[in-house]
Amino acid sequence: MNWTWFHKLGSPKWFYELTSKWLPWLIGAMVIFLAVGVVWALLYIPPDYQQSYTTRILVIHVAVAGTSLAFFPLMAVAGTITLVWRMKLADMVAKNAAPLGAWFSFITLATGSLWGSVMWGTWWEWSDARLVSMLFQFFLLVGVVALRSALEDNDTAARACALLSIVGCINVVIIKYSVEWWNVLHQPSSPLSMSGESANGPEFWVPTVVMIVAVYLFFAVSLILATRNEILQRERKAAWVQELVSKT
Amino acid sequence: MIEAIQFASFSEFLDMGGYGFNVWSVYGLFAVFVAANLISPVMKRKRIVRDLKRRAVVNEQQSN
Repeated sequence: MNWTWFHKLGSPKWFYELTSKWLPWLIGAMVIFLAVGVVWALLYIPPDYQQSYTTRILVIHVAVAGTSLAFFPLMAVAGTITLVWRMKLADMVAKNAAPLGAWFSFITLATGSLWGSVMWGTWWEWSDARLVSMLFQFFLLVGVVALRSALEDNDTAARACALLSIVGCINVVIIKYSVEWWNVLHQPSSPLSMSGESANGPEFWVPTVVMIVAVYLFFAVSLILATRNEILQRERKAAWVQELVSKT
Repeated sequence: MIEAIQFASFSEFLDMGGYGFNVWSVYGLFAVFVAANLISPVMKRKRIVRDLKRRAVVNEQQSN
């Protein structure tokens, strides 16, 4: 097997040039999906017979919550690459994923609370494993950011964060299956189930799928932009960066 | 699938069946969240490029 692509991937310059080509398309798709998703959700989703118009909250909540589960697996894969192959790029991605993941977890909790306050009659429930494990993910991600800034040596910080990210994946499994393992207030996944008791009609799941794609695209765009900044900073002495800066 | 826009008037649209505060807070938060995480890396990039340009000028002056 030809492994050149793998070593190329580790090159910040290659990543920077590749994403320069991808970004316009990703941003374009993101804008279209966000616009369609938000307009559809706010104007066209019919009121639920029990939940009225609060299902419109769930379109955002489900998309952000689902994407928030991608952070620890992503950081764990990047961390493993950092630990095994010492690839600089992997650590740059992991470093910038952590604060973004904290944002995603926070928005998941906030939108969930805003729905729960009217549909459950409570903003928060400490006995609910889904809620508590998501709060734990938020603290873990803030912890990863804090650990990074506390360790002065770049390599030590990268390795410590990689280890914490790998361990943090256990919590993702707990979040995912919490609604099945324990009898909790939080309902199991239903917006996307198309059969069975909790099935939703296309007037609800189609805009939800559009919003999930939109949020994943936003996640990719934001992380790529932040990683490119990291590349410019860490590779500032490289000839290609200096040339690039002189042209702008 | 799309029957029609679900509201007859703008005030009804803002009301969201009595859940206006919750629905609009969620969409407001989401807008802030998306905007902040796109604008902040763009602003940071401008700072970095400005800083690197300044360094390049200083380095050139020193080598002359």
